[in-house]
Amino acid sequence: MPFSTPLKRRTLLSMLAAPLVLPAPAAAAAPNVAESFVDENIHKGLEILRDKRLSTVQRRDQFEGLLLTLVDVRRIALFTLGQYRRSAPQDDVEAFVNAFKNYAAAAYQSYFAKYTDQTLKVIGSTQRSPTDFIVQTNLVDPGSSQPPAEVDFRVRTDTGKPVLVDVAYQGIWLSLEQRDQFVAFLGQNNGDVRKLIAHLSDLAVNLSKPAPQQ
Amino acid sequence: MGRLRIWLLAGLAAGLGGCASAPPSAAALAANDPWEQTNRETLKLNGKIDRYFVIPTVGLYFLVVPEAGRRGVHNFLGNLSLPTIFVNDMLQGELSRAGKSMWRLVINSTLGLGGFFDPASKAGIPGHGEDFGQTLAVWGVGEGPYLVLPFLGPSNPRDAAGLAIDVAMDPTNQIHFKQHIWWDAGRIYFTLLDLRAQNYQTIQGIQRSSVDYYSSLRNLYRQMRAEQIRNGRPIRQDLPDF
Repeated sequence: MPFSTPLKRRTLLSMLAAPLVLPAPAAAAAPNVAESFVDENIHKGLEILRDKRLSTVQRRDQFEGLLLTLVDVRRIALFTLGQYRRSAPQDDVEAFVNAFKNYAAAAYQSYFAKYTDQTLKVIGSTQRSPTDFIVQTNLVDPGSSQPPAEVDFRVRTDTGKPVLVDVAYQGIWLSLEQRDQFVAFLGQNNGDVRKLIAHLSDLAVNLSKPAPQQ
Repeated sequence: MGRLRIWLLAGLAAGLGGCASAPPSAAALAANDPWEQTNRETLKLNGKIDRYFVIPTVGLYFLVVPEAGRRGVHNFLGNLSLPTIFVNDMLQGELSRAGKSMWRLVINSTLGLGGFFDPASKAGIPGHGEDFGQTLAVWGVGEGPYLVLPFLGPSNPRDAAGLAIDVAMDPTNQIHFKQHIWWDAGRIYFTLLDLRAQNYQTIQGIQRSSVDYYSSLRNLYRQMRAEQIRNGRPIRQDLPDF
């Protein structure tokens, strides 16, 4: 892999101090910034999900709060609208971004809640452009003899602050899947973004409820 | 020979061929899914089969067979697939992976008591999948339009043809013995049961979180197959810009 960088973890202190001390070429240190960003924050998210002292509402609120600081939800929301982003009225697009925030928080919580007993280990990163990184991690299940699952996080650093824009489980990217769904839904509903907003709001409510047991 | 499985596949193909559908929409063509209307109907049929037959059976399976037993069934079925995986490893020029498949077959068939246990994984030789659909892809054959097969779910012409070839080349299907149709039927039944049991929570999660379950499955299938064909390496470089 020509763009691979070896794993070099840095402490949180050095990560925070670097922009203050170093004058300009942040891109050189950026891969490790992306790795540290994922390493620190995903563990925080998993800690919240596995904290049994929290009530359901507290857990949801804390997870959503963390998620909104880490994830560029607006960028993802606009991406998932596909070609309808250009044709939809601006007010509808803004309403969609808000609905998507609630849906994403509920959906991410639902996805990650399955993995609270597992540990995530950063194994390296790939730089796609000066501000676009993919951080590779392994999700290790201590009770399984199977190889660890590969989970990749796409991190952008356009504004200097790392933000998460996508996540892939075993090579399957979530935002690509969401875009296909939303575009198909809009295609069947004459591009009516309001219908998609209503549908997403219903889904967010349903996802906040516990999954039915088998 | 697994005539039952071959007839089943032939029946599925004939059924699909007989499906009449309206001309594909522009959106369907853009998604490389000209048979979308028929595919959606097939998915509905599969949903009914799943709801009224497969899920109750899986529930009973969970109730009657303890986890260790279900793991044994899963291992046994995986072991039966190893000769086919080995051949596909070889056809793709993946000699290292072919060696691993061979060692897994030897170790699990002997020390693993016919494949019910998986000592090979504990010895550092984890399993991997390969099939003739992937081999065709490695040889440069395109996937073709999206296709939902009755009973079997998401596919495409390349992978459906690959599945038929995998069935035909499976050495366990070449063994003729008295009433082997029961062996074929049992293997199909337990393969479907095992597959559904393994993916029960995943499918439930997709159904709960999907805006459009059909297009979600279509995208997941395509991404999953692309990952399988790459054998998980390296990370794809064709990701869109945000």
